[in-house]
Amino acid sequence: MLEVERLEVSYGALAALHGVSLTIRPGETVALVGPNGAGKSTLLKTIVGLLVPRAGVIRWEGIPVSAEPPHRIIERGVALVPEGRRLFARMTVRENLELGAFAKRAQRERRAQLERVYTIFPRLLERERQLAGSLSGGEQQMLALGRALMGLPRLLLLDEPSLGLAPRVVESIFSVLAELHREGMSLFIVEQNVQAVLTLAQRAYILEGGRIVGEGEGQRLLQDDHVRAAYLGPLARGASS
Amino acid sequence: MKLLLGGILLAAGFAGFPLVTARNDLLNLGIQIFLAVALAESWNLLGGYAGQITLGHAAFFGLGALVTRTLWVGGAPLSVALAAGALVATAFGVLIGGPAFRLRGAYFAIGTLGLAEILRITVGNLMPEISTIPVTALASYDLVPRYYLTLALAMFSVAVVAVLVRSRVGLGMQAVREDEAAAEASGVGAFRHKLLALALSTALAGLAGGAFAYYHVSYYPQHAFSPAWTFDAVLIAFIGGVGTVHGPVLGALFYVIAKEVLAVQLVEVHLLIFGVLFLLVVLLLPGGLVEAWSRARRLITRNS
Amino acid sequence: MILTQQLILGVLVGGLYGLAAAGLSLTFGVLRVLNVAHGELLMLGGYGTFWLFALWQIDPFLSLLGVGPALFVLGLVLYWMLFQFVVKAHEEARIKNSLLIGFGLTLVFHTLAIRLWTADERAVTTDYAGAVVKIGVFTVPLVRLSSLVLAFAILTALHLFLAKARWGRAIRATAEDWEAAALMGIPVGRTYLLAFALGTALAGIAGGLVSVSYSISPSIGIEWTLKALIVVVLAGLGSLFGSFAGGILLGLAEATSVVFLGGPYREVVGLVLFLIVLLVRPQGLFGDRG
Repeated sequence: MLEVERLEVSYGALAALHGVSLTIRPGETVALVGPNGAGKSTLLKTIVGLLVPRAGVIRWEGIPVSAEPPHRIIERGVALVPEGRRLFARMTVRENLELGAFAKRAQRERRAQLERVYTIFPRLLERERQLAGSLSGGEQQMLALGRALMGLPRLLLLDEPSLGLAPRVVESIFSVLAELHREGMSLFIVEQNVQAVLTLAQRAYILEGGRIVGEGEGQRLLQDDHVRAAYLGPLARGASS
Repeated sequence: MKLLLGGILLAAGFAGFPLVTARNDLLNLGIQIFLAVALAESWNLLGGYAGQITLGHAAFFGLGALVTRTLWVGGAPLSVALAAGALVATAFGVLIGGPAFRLRGAYFAIGTLGLAEILRITVGNLMPEISTIPVTALASYDLVPRYYLTLALAMFSVAVVAVLVRSRVGLGMQAVREDEAAAEASGVGAFRHKLLALALSTALAGLAGGAFAYYHVSYYPQHAFSPAWTFDAVLIAFIGGVGTVHGPVLGALFYVIAKEVLAVQLVEVHLLIFGVLFLLVVLLLPGGLVEAWSRARRLITRNS
Repeated sequence: MILTQQLILGVLVGGLYGLAAAGLSLTFGVLRVLNVAHGELLMLGGYGTFWLFALWQIDPFLSLLGVGPALFVLGLVLYWMLFQFVVKAHEEARIKNSLLIGFGLTLVFHTLAIRLWTADERAVTTDYAGAVVKIGVFTVPLVRLSSLVLAFAILTALHLFLAKARWGRAIRATAEDWEAAALMGIPVGRTYLLAFALGTALAGIAGGLVSVSYSISPSIGIEWTLKALIVVVLAGLGSLFGSFAGGILLGLAEATSVVFLGGPYREVVGLVLFLIVLLVRPQGLFGDRG
């Protein structure tokens, strides 16, 4: 469904991604883990069209999309929940959600989809008329996620959804993601919280220094010594067999 | 090196000019070219090299003109009047520099424009009568000394910019132009450099204004504060090649001569043409005539 | 007495200042581009209204229905030909280049106007031009009052558009965070185009109202650019009604200065206020962004 082949992305003279290749099949939940500065956000931004690669191909449902502007890629059914949420703080919750359905394809289903999002996140309905900037961290993440869902995506990209959130909130976000997965949506999640994301994902890639250095099944990677050492900290290392 | 040689030849040519001709119209043309060079170079210093686009340049030109005119017509020796004009212009520039540089980009440009307009209107209200050289001085009015004064001024401004560009201070200014934050981070005091550029720019503009006051027989004092002077400076600097030493010279030659040629046939059309040219330069050829020339040269050498 | 009469006139002209500023504020707020040719576009709108009246006796208020769209189209062209290249750069280069482009456009339009229509002052004088409304001992010129009301109505309509319409919200979103807007499926380039064209249309309409309420000439371009800039700085960005209020504030300040300092210093007051606000409170009196 999503095929990335030998992607090269640079910021000016600075190379950020080297020969990155990966695939995401329909209905899969795939994780992307790796240290800070590895290029994970860069990869997501390139997939959605905010950055243009220097070389390589991105194919979505068979169509090459690497040169297309973001709004075209969104129309095709890809959505990104960006790092730090990037909500429109000066607009209300409802306005943010309705903006998520800007694309023509999503406009038709707007009212129905809004109901759905309110069902998944009742808190957003409560705060419908509040300015997005006045919400708590968890609520903002819900809004960001709901806003992305308004676009009726078939592939949802998430950049650090758990960042800055309390554990209980993280749990509820991930249970929503699990539900979306069960309903057949493809998810590609960049996450520092390796424990949470590897429990959910079928497969995962490891990105270090702009390169894919590992790939495997979610559960298996959780047991992998390298992964545990790098991302799960001393406690996990101590507990490994 | 070649540029220096060419410049010296050009200057020598201009210097020798009055010796071979007594045609006043050509002398006037020369004076206008030299004034334009000085005006454009002074703007280029601040706007092209230090990267601070100002739209209030006329204020300093006007102040120089005002002070010089008042003192000189009042009997003071010309050198004193000119120096005083430049001094007042510089003092004013440095005074506003502090608060002005707190404004970013667009706000700095329109802030300086606003300031220049305030001066223009106030001067126009306080001195509404036309200023004319007294009859006694009128009798002995001679274009030639004015020609040489403005030529010297033009050469001086070019020299100042040329020397500055290669100096450590000048490099600092250009660093500020490229990326103020980065320059600051690497130890280049951005504010100091901008203020110095402002001081030099306003001093030169003040001198140019003083020369204008010495040259023009009669004019309304507020005319020297007109935004048209700023526009001329910006146009010439860009069309010639902003951020280069010889760009404004080329631009001044081109502008004044073209204006003369066109003025014969169509009123004010030169502004229209220059406006369009200016737009083309900004969008397509930011280096102006200088860049056009070097590109043409490369094309010729490649094909030969 | 005189003061109150002057203040009334100040409010009337202030409404037009606000309308002119709103267009500039829209362009600046969304594209982060300062179009210093804004006043020239206003001037063109004024001439459009003038000529429609002079040649075909079309009522000036009616001709706005033509002038507005015409200037909208001009805005489309100007964005397509010039400003779209400017928005691709970083903020600082963007502002610098937009200043220069606006400057070049100012020269071109100003000179063109002088060539086509001479430097003479023109005004649209309809049959009802001299009509006044009397409030107690004060006279309110009817045409100016209508202009004020119309300006307010247009801003209200625009406000509703930005608040409720799909593309209006897209404009607001793009103004706040263009990357996030792009992620919503909003075509940013087209949004910029729309915002810019709306801005020029507003300028044109304001110009039409100026031609019937006051007078126009090629030189009002720079004058009105400054007025719009002053109001944008006074009011800040982010609110159309803030611009309107800022315009009225400027009108009142000018009126007050006329009474106490005399006519010649009218422009100076606005400029001084402008500089003070720039230095002390750059985000403006009502604005939410610097």
